[in-house]
Amino acid sequence: MKSKNDVKTEIKKYILEASLSDVKDVEDDALIFENGLLDSMGLLFLIEFLGETFEVEVNDDELNPKNFESINNIVSFVNNKLSVKV
Amino acid sequence: MKSEARKPFSKDIIHIENIDQVCNDIIAKLKMDVTKNLQRRGAIVGISGGIDSSVCLALSAKAFGSKNVLGIMLPEQDSSDDSRHLAEKLAATYGVSTLIEDITKALDGFGCYERRDEAILRVIPDFDKKVDKAKIEIKQNIAENIPAIFSITVIKPNGDVVSKLLPAREYLQIVASTNFKQRSRMSMLYYHAERMHYAVIGTPNKHEVEQGFFVKYGDGGADVMPIGHFYKTQVYQLAKHLGVPQEIIDRTPTTDTYTAEQSQEDFFYQMPFESMDLIWYGWENNYPAEEVGKVMGKTTKEIENIYKSFERKRKTTEYLRMKPIF
Repeated sequence: MKSKNDVKTEIKKYILEASLSDVKDVEDDALIFENGLLDSMGLLFLIEFLGETFEVEVNDDELNPKNFESINNIVSFVNNKLSVKV
Repeated sequence: MKSEARKPFSKDIIHIENIDQVCNDIIAKLKMDVTKNLQRRGAIVGISGGIDSSVCLALSAKAFGSKNVLGIMLPEQDSSDDSRHLAEKLAATYGVSTLIEDITKALDGFGCYERRDEAILRVIPDFDKKVDKAKIEIKQNIAENIPAIFSITVIKPNGDVVSKLLPAREYLQIVASTNFKQRSRMSMLYYHAERMHYAVIGTPNKHEVEQGFFVKYGDGGADVMPIGHFYKTQVYQLAKHLGVPQEIIDRTPTTDTYTAEQSQEDFFYQMPFESMDLIWYGWENNYPAEEVGKVMGKTTKEIENIYKSFERKRKTTEYLRMKPIF
C-alpha cells in the first residue's frame, strides 16, 4: 500500500502536469476548480487517474467540494478510501 | 451601464414588453440576412416539435412567406413518436411544406448506435440494448461548487434503474457517437438548402449558444440563428405571440437524443429555465449575488456557486464556438 506522502506526491504531480502549472504556483489548499486548474474534463481525467493509480472508485454521491476542491481534500479522500479497503 | 442607473433585479427583468416590435425586428433582420447578406431565396428549418425550432419556423414563414420555407423532420430510431405529430401540426399552422428524412440508416452506416452501446456496455455490463432505455445526465447540484460530471442511467423494462458515473473514455465515446445524429441532420439540411438555393436556419437559443449545449458542425452548423440571443423564457414569449400551437408550448423540452426520456434540465442545465434565465441575466450583467439571491429565494453562496458554474460552462465550451484557426 502507498504511504500518505506517496499519495500526496502522486496526486500533486498529476494535477500540476494536467494543468500545465508550475509547482510554486499551486498551494496544497488552493481551490483547483475556482482557480481554473481543472475543468469538468480535467476532473473526469483526474477520477480516471485515481482509479488507475490507487484503484479508488468514485461514486456519484462522493463528487462534492469536500472531497475534490483542493489537493489536500483529494488526498484526504483517497487516503480514507484506501484505509477502508485495508 | 453604471450600476446606479440600471433597474433593480426582479423576476420581470427579462420579460419582453414590446413583443410585437421585437418580433417585427427579428423578422426584418432575418429577411435582410438571408436575402441580402447570404443571397438566398428562402429558408430550410429542421423541425422537431420543440419550442425553438417551432419559433424559427414561424419567424421564417413570416419573413419569407410560407411558400419559400421548407420544414424538414429528421427522425431516427430513438426519436419520440410525439415529434412527428407536433412538427406536422406546426407546419400546418403556418402553411409550410414539410419533408420527412429518416436518418436511421445513415446513423447505422456511421456505427452511431453500435459505438454508443459498446461504451454503455463497458460501464453497465448487463445493459440489454434491445429492451433497456439509456440516457446520460448530470446528478450534481449546480449550487455546489464543483464541475458537472455525467452519469449513465439505464432503465430496465420492469422499471429498475441502474446508474453509474461515466469514466472519461466511455463518456467521450458516448457523446462522440451520439453527435453523429446532429451532424447527419446538418448534412441533410444543407442538401435541401443547396438544391433549393435556400439558407439553413439554426435553432439554438441563447443558453444553447453560450453554455455550449450544441454540437459543433451539427445543430451549431447553420447560416443564421434568429433566436441565438434570446433567453428560453423569451422564446416562449415569442412562441405565444407568433401563435405556435399550445401543445408545443406545453411540452417539456427534451434532448430527443437518447432512448430514455430526458429533459434538457436533467441532461445539461441542472435547473429550471425560469430560474436559469434570470440568474444568467444577473451573472452576465454583474448583479451582486446577494441581490439576485434575495429575489430568487436562494442564499448568496448558492448564487455565487451558480455564477461560477456558468463561468465554467462558458469557458469550457469556448472551443465549440471557435471558428477554425488559420
